[in-house]
Parts: sequence; structure tokens; C-alpha cells
Amino acid sequence: MSVHVASVGMGRFGKRPEGLIDLAAEAGEAALDGVGRKPIDLLVVGSMFSHGPYGPEALLPRLAGRLSLESANGLRIDGASATGALAFHAAVLALESNRFDRALVIAAEKMTDRSTADNTRDLATSLHTSEVAAGATMPLLAAIVSQRYLDRYGGTPAWFDAASLHARTMALDNPNAHFFGKRVTAAEISSSKPVALPLRVMHCSAMSDGAVAVVLERGQGPATVLGLGQGFEALRVVDRNDLTSFAATRIAAKRAYEASHLTRKEVEVAEVHDAFSPFTLIHIEDLGFCGPGEAPTWFERGWVHRDGRLPVNPSGGVVGRGHPVAASGLAEVAEVALQLRGEAGQHQIARRPKVGLAQAVGGVASHNLVTILGKEGP
Amino acid sequence: MTDGPGMIELSRCQSCQLAYLPSDGPCPRCGSQDRKPHPVPALGAVLVATELMYTATGWTAPHRLALVEMPEAVRLLGIVEGPLPAPGDLVAVRKDADVYRVHTDPTLQVGRGEGESPKAGRSGPSFEPPR
Repeated sequence: MSVHVASVGMGRFGKRPEGLIDLAAEAGEAALDGVGRKPIDLLVVGSMFSHGPYGPEALLPRLAGRLSLESANGLRIDGASATGALAFHAAVLALESNRFDRALVIAAEKMTDRSTADNTRDLATSLHTSEVAAGATMPLLAAIVSQRYLDRYGGTPAWFDAASLHARTMALDNPNAHFFGKRVTAAEISSSKPVALPLRVMHCSAMSDGAVAVVLERGQGPATVLGLGQGFEALRVVDRNDLTSFAATRIAAKRAYEASHLTRKEVEVAEVHDAFSPFTLIHIEDLGFCGPGEAPTWFERGWVHRDGRLPVNPSGGVVGRGHPVAASGLAEVAEVALQLRGEAGQHQIARRPKVGLAQAVGGVASHNLVTILGKEGP
Repeated sequence: MTDGPGMIELSRCQSCQLAYLPSDGPCPRCGSQDRKPHPVPALGAVLVATELMYTATGWTAPHRLALVEMPEAVRLLGIVEGPLPAPGDLVAVRKDADVYRVHTDPTLQVGRGEGESPKAGRSGPSFEPPR
């Protein structure tokens, strides 16, 4: 049983005046319009915070009412920063069960109405309690991972500057990106404020508002689901044997490649979860696109650009697009679908791809997901 | 058992013999709950230390934390008291309620003489396996 992405609805990411429900409804309406308002029998909604006047319990019925989907079944998903991808996987599995024909998947987050410290505290709920008790945050643990990467391969933070510059350059052409049209230089990145060295502000994704939606339906198309994979790794970062690679990605990728009967050689575009620029390097190594320690060369030589050997994050990725935390995982899948459907507009890659891969990361890579989309068959 | 002066308590799994933290949890390798206290000298080597400038609500910046490798390759994340240590520095560790606190004791630095770098006499331990 095949399932494919029939339409994508994506609003602008960034600082938005609207509330969570309005953002989610905007994306949902756009995706529904994309399939000519065909009937939906499953609504899957992902959000991590759902704070404020909305409340986690109210999100699903409010959206069902707003979108006139009261006759559909509903699921609400929370998987930290992988929420959107997890919602997508849940909807695919539901459709593959043959109990549903068409699903609307929406992932949304509202973050800019809160302080950085409050968002930092709530994002840390995806970490191990013993590390939170010591005052660790997502960027702190990301900094430790990043420093170990530099130590292992003899690099400098300029590697991270290059990854950030790539993301922000790609975002220049994505009207939905937080950093659309905002050109920066490597010097600005390398001199931005320290967060936890070697991480600086411009190596970190921005807390954004935003929502994305897709309609999934049974059948085939240019963005058919070819393979899904998930992987877990020790929640406590200090318990991991290797801090320069994420086992959760390697496991998820292996499962997705096996399910799709494809290898990394067939992948023609990738959207990876660069909540922190150094993670981009680790991700493309863990996905098998290059060997350990080789990713910095890919950025230095431009092999990840839209006309490069393997376009990576042509949308700008999480650093360039912004990070409404629950939405990013679905945005990665949606961007791959847009590329496959030839609907990515200004940020369409040079040669329309037949196969694309999206990777999402939950927490500090404790639960990662890989999704492979493309045209089924020869 | 409590941590004695100059000692810190790990657990020794009675099933697979792994030494691990936290000392009240199951073995992270085999899941066994069968463990015995395993006191070790409360000295570790810094792998990475950094200073967090944007803390979560309830914390004050800058907040210094270090990833420390203890005896038997057990690692912990400790709150740094005093100046930020360098990779490879030896640090004293103590348990304080739910957290570990680490501080650099100049008398602990092995092979460090006048004019030598903080890393002199040892290189930072590497716990990443070959890939």
C-alpha cells in the first residue's frame, strides 16, 4: 500500500503576530486547498509547547472545528523537536493500515511571545533530568558535542561558520524562512555572541513561530513515501560512547534505506535537522553521504549547494528557516516533497530530484527519524 | 553508603561488572538492578568545559559546566566552581545533592611546571571508539 504527499501548506516562519491556532489553521487551509478540499478522515497535529491560552488538550478539537474536520479522527503527537516528523510517520502508518484514506498532518509552534530563558527551560524538558539538574540546556550539550567533533578531527569553529553561512545563504531565497533576504557574512557569524563556546548565536537556530501542513493520501505520486526509519540513543548525553556521531540517526537511516530498497547514492536532495550548525556536519556523515570527518570539506567546496553534488537544506534548514520547534520535523519532510514535486519556487534545486531524504532530531539526538520520499518504481 | 572524603560512589553492576552512574539506577548496559556501591577516588579528567551565557529560567549566567571522565571511564557532567578548566585538567569532584561539583586543584595537575601549558604531561582522554 503506497502513501504519498499530495499537497503542502507552509506559512512564513519567524516572528508572527498570530497565535498557535491561527498559524496552524493557515498551514492546514493551504494544504487542504492543494487537494481541492477532498475529504479528510484523519487529522494529526503536532506541537511541543501548546502553552498559553490554548492548552495541549484543546489544540486538536480547536483545529478540528476551525478546519471543519469534526467528522475526522484525531491524534496529537509530541516528540520534542522531532514532533513534526513523528506526526508524519504516525499518519503514514495509519494510512498504511487501510483504516483511513486521506490525512491532514499539521505541526505548529508559537515561541516568540515568551522569553528566551523560558523557552530554554521548556526545550530542556527533552533532556535527561540529571543533566537539567546541573543547569544543562540544549545549546550547552550541543556545545559539548561540537567541541568533541573539533577535537576529534582537528578542526576549528570556522567549520561551523561555513555550515551556518550555507544555511543562511540558502534561506535568502526561501520567502517562508525566518532569515529570508537577510544576508550575513562569515565574519559576522564568527564574531556573533558566544552561547556556549564553541557555539555562537549564529550557529544556533532561532526560536520562531510557524506551522506547516501536508495532506497524505493513499496512492502514488512524485513524493511517495518510500521508507521510514526511527532510532533511539541514550537520553543522557554523558552515557554515549561516541559524541561525534549520533547513533539514533545511523539506526534510523539504516531502517529507512532498507525499507526503500535504496542507498544513499540514490538520494538527490536532503533536508537535515541543523538546530545547531555543527550538527549539519555530523548528520551528513551519519546518513552516509560522506565519511567521518569529511563533511567540512563538503561545505568548503560547495558540494551541498543547490547545484552541488548533493544539495543539503536548500530551504535554509533549521538555522536558516527558523525553528518553531515542533514544526521543523514536518517542514523538513514538506521541503523534500516540494523539491520532488517541482514546487519549491525560488529555492528549487538545479535538477528536479526523483528521491529525497528528510532527517529530524528529537532532543540532543536521542530520538531521530529519517523519511525517504520519491517516485515509486523504475 | 555516602561518598566519603576524597571518594565518590559509583555502582558496580553485579551482572556485567560495568561501573556506572547514577549510583541508584539500573545498569545502562545490561539493565540489571543488581548492583553494589563502588567507591573510587573523586578525581577526574576534563574532556570539555564550557561557559553557558544564555541559561534557562532559574539559573544565572555565566554557568560553567564540564564533562569529566572519572575512573573506569565513567563520565559525568559537573558544575564548575571557580575558573573554567582546560581539556585534560585534573579536577576534584564531589556530590552535592542531585548534582556533581568540580573544581580545579593546582596541586593535582600532573607534570605541569613553570611555563608549561595546562595540557602538559597528559593529553585529553579520548573515549570515542574508532569509526
